[in-house]
Amino acid sequence: MVSDTVIQTEHLTKIFEKGKKREVIALNDVSLEIDRGEVFGLLGPNGAGKTTLIRLLVGLLTPTSGKAWVLGKDVVTDIDDIRQQVALLPQEAGIYERLTARENLIFYGGLYGIPEEILEERADKLLDIVDLREKENYQVKGFSGGMKRKVLVARALIIEPEIIFMDEPTTGVDTIGARVVRTLLKKLSGEKRQTIILTTHDLNEVSELCDRVGILNEGKLIAVGRPSELEEKYKGANLEDIFVGLVTGEGVYGG
Amino acid sequence: MQRRESRFKKDRWLIKKEVKSLLRSRWLILGFIISPMFAWLFQGAFISFVYDQSTGSGARSKVYFTLEDKGEIGESLYRNISLNQFNLNITQMINITWDEGQALIDNRSLTVWVIIPDGFTEAYTNYTGDHPIGTVQMYTNTGVLRARAVALKIKNYINALIDYRPWVKEVRIQEYSISPEATYGHQLAIFLIMITSVLAPAPYVSQSFAGEREKHTLEALLVVPMSRIRILGAKLISGLSLTTIYMFFTVVGVLVYNWSILARAPNPIEAAIFTVNISTIPLLMLCQFLVLLCSIGIGVVISCLAKDQATAESVNSLILLVPTMVIGILGFTGSINQFQGELFGFFVQAIPFTHAVIILEGILTGSGTLLGLLGNISYLLGFTLVFLIIGAKLFDREAIIS
Repeated sequence: MVSDTVIQTEHLTKIFEKGKKREVIALNDVSLEIDRGEVFGLLGPNGAGKTTLIRLLVGLLTPTSGKAWVLGKDVVTDIDDIRQQVALLPQEAGIYERLTARENLIFYGGLYGIPEEILEERADKLLDIVDLREKENYQVKGFSGGMKRKVLVARALIIEPEIIFMDEPTTGVDTIGARVVRTLLKKLSGEKRQTIILTTHDLNEVSELCDRVGILNEGKLIAVGRPSELEEKYKGANLEDIFVGLVTGEGVYGG
Repeated sequence: MQRRESRFKKDRWLIKKEVKSLLRSRWLILGFIISPMFAWLFQGAFISFVYDQSTGSGARSKVYFTLEDKGEIGESLYRNISLNQFNLNITQMINITWDEGQALIDNRSLTVWVIIPDGFTEAYTNYTGDHPIGTVQMYTNTGVLRARAVALKIKNYINALIDYRPWVKEVRIQEYSISPEATYGHQLAIFLIMITSVLAPAPYVSQSFAGEREKHTLEALLVVPMSRIRILGAKLISGLSLTTIYMFFTVVGVLVYNWSILARAPNPIEAAIFTVNISTIPLLMLCQFLVLLCSIGIGVVISCLAKDQATAESVNSLILLVPTMVIGILGFTGSINQFQGELFGFFVQAIPFTHAVIILEGILTGSGTLLGLLGNISYLLGFTLVFLIIGAKLFDREAIIS
């Protein structure tokens, strides 16, 4: 059987300010495999290491020790090749507010060397999907938080990446907007076999979207598996009980 | 009544919160303290420097002397001036020939040159009031405040000295300006170009680096398949292209300035001292470009270290304002090279923008050499390059996104 692993980490560790007073172990010995087409949810309280893991996988940070491969390529030595095929939707609404919605999409795609005609076509489709066609020529600064998120999702998708890293993609989006984003993510993973790694605090979102989840706490990966597998393992406890029990150390008690 | 009190209480709470937040913003407070201080310090430094260079202890200058007259009055004038060098603020009195004096005029390095012509004594002795008397000739570099101040002292002294002869009330002194290029207009150009160009790129550079980090757009930008050095390069090129707008409007500003002078003084020759010579605009633009480039280099380093855009802008202004102020004042008063060999002179020469002023002055007055010009350009570009390399290193750090 041919392995279809697109992300693999081995004992991945990241220590900030190593050897100094302010040393922080942000990620501690994380080994993980994610397959093509999977929607993988990273759960964890604030400061658990979710964003650090994503930043290591897209080459924004360098591992202190351990190894990581994305699409079979080393994140330290082959990062330029990796970046051509991955998109990042950051946690904060990092968007160019003086550009219009369409300009944001086209600009970002242009940085990947995609011809403008193709970008225009893709932008048309994506703006329709995220329901922003009517506002496409408005500067983003006047948009609501939810609309900005939609632009960011569309921006990440315009390059048609093999892997999309989404750091809390529905945070700040209204219920309808969040639904649009989730539907879009399902479509992407189902039809296009795009791999999605998302971090979230919304456990319903995890249940609805994710094929598998990884729970991080204080930099350590403390549980990995399908939601159903975890529920089975912890004797019928729901995902929220499992998460709270593991993270607080109070233990998980099934129903 | 109770309702009213409650409303005031809310107001007080709001005021208290606003003041507390404001007091906790170091840079804002620093700005509140520094802005008025700088405004008055700048004005004080400027006026006191001009005063010092015109009348105070700083108004000392080298004086060249040519005594052609063989008579008693000419020699007496020379002897008295020589004995009173200290009171006349003359640092050194150098005897030169006519040819040597002309050479100094040609290379624009003359400060003050006093000539007592042949037959001066005879003209005074035989003066009957019905024919022109002999004159003392004096060449002064009007671009240097110190030279002008010393020339004025010498003029007054000669007049006072001659005054005891009842038949001569005043010695006639023929004055020549030997540095028509170093006009008020160009002094102003140096001053304004230095000050505005150094500070102009700060908002763009701060927004482009610290601002992107603050708004979290930098993170997504850094994961595109482009090396950080290319991203940095693209940002610098866009910064430079934006500065062309600035340069263009500087030219417009200069033209408007000239027009405003000429509108009040219809005689262009009379107004020339106050206007900027149009033919020097390309030179002004070259110096401005070099200053803008250097300022961008410094701004990149500050911006890569600052937490947010406001901090980057504040630090940039604070760091650049003092040297800019010093260079602006020295450039305006034509004193940029006055302090060579002193500690202050070393500080002045270390500031990269000084070299733009030296280039400008060197070419405008004709005293610059090709080697000197290249040296000054190299210093400015070298300084910029060093800062850009430091900026690139800082931009390449992991901490740039955190």
